[in-house]
Amino acid sequence: MAPDPDRLRDLGSRLDKLQAGQDARYKKPPPSGLGIAGRFATELVAALFVGGGLGWGIDWLLGRFLFKTFPVFMLVFVVLGAVAGILNVMRAAKDINAEIARARSNEEK
Amino acid sequence: MAGENPMEQFAVRPLIEAPLFELGGHPIYFTNQALLMVLVTLLSASFLTLVVKPGRLVPTRSQSVAEISYKFVSDMIHSTTGSDGLRFFPFVFTLFIFVLCCNFFGMIPGGFTVTSQIAVTFALAGLVMLTVIFVGFAKHGIGFLKLFVPHAPWYLLILLIPIEFISFMTRPISLSVRLFANMLAGHTMLAVFAGFVVSLGAAGGLLSGLAIAPLALMVGIFMLELLVAFLQAYVFAVLTCIYLNEALHLHDQH
Repeated sequence: MAPDPDRLRDLGSRLDKLQAGQDARYKKPPPSGLGIAGRFATELVAALFVGGGLGWGIDWLLGRFLFKTFPVFMLVFVVLGAVAGILNVMRAAKDINAEIARARSNEEK
Repeated sequence: MAGENPMEQFAVRPLIEAPLFELGGHPIYFTNQALLMVLVTLLSASFLTLVVKPGRLVPTRSQSVAEISYKFVSDMIHSTTGSDGLRFFPFVFTLFIFVLCCNFFGMIPGGFTVTSQIAVTFALAGLVMLTVIFVGFAKHGIGFLKLFVPHAPWYLLILLIPIEFISFMTRPISLSVRLFANMLAGHTMLAVFAGFVVSLGAAGGLLSGLAIAPLALMVGIFMLELLVAFLQAYVFAVLTCIYLNEALHLHDQH
């Protein structure tokens, strides 16, 4: 006897629903306030250090092989690092918002 | 463990007096940290291989631990990178299990937390970033550099490319600092409260009775730390997946 397509579709949708419930169980809770604060702080500070370090490295290279530029590139790159830090925080905030929205929509199911 | 100095637990000491060998003039010792890492690797690898050896259709408890962790990581990779990211399953799974076991081994009182050492976490994060860069260039060739070029008019690109580059370079730092700082902070807090318990208990009289308060707090913090130990391993693995996803698909949504 050929399987009834309606019953198969019904089975499929029931399986999907079960699967969705399983997925929701695996999802972690939305991030805590302290976690978010720590993440933003590291992103900001790390970008400053990387920017400063890169600029210092460029200064060192130029000073070694061409002429003395210190501290021009370091200053410029510290500012760029600050901008990159803010960019990182914006991206992190976007990720966290998406995470919270996902956690909410899982709760409502 | 509750010495006067709460930071004493993080000291790295050689276990064998004589250095193992010399590397570029620096003596390399076998330290307590190295021992812990060897133990974690051996125990987790042998546990995970031995329990799935019988291959029962209906898994025993220990076999289902291995199967659930497999499923957990493969779901995580699948949801962040799609199916072509599953090639990196061995890499991500090894990282996740290693960090998770190191974190949990650190929770054993009197033990040592490998992941509270910036050297270890930075080496792990550096490994992740090197893999990402390698995969990106292998898959896209020189086109991988498009990751640093957002859609913008050319005069803004002069500013934006260095900014994107710095933003990319901060990843290994924020990845390693997050794991290291969480573990360091938690274990320091536990040691400080343990110090309170000891000194209050030794004070005598009514004060000794008060020692129960920091003790109760310690139980709570310990449970929180167990959660943090898992969560940080999870975050480390998820971020690895997200970075791999970028290297694989070069999404240009920003």
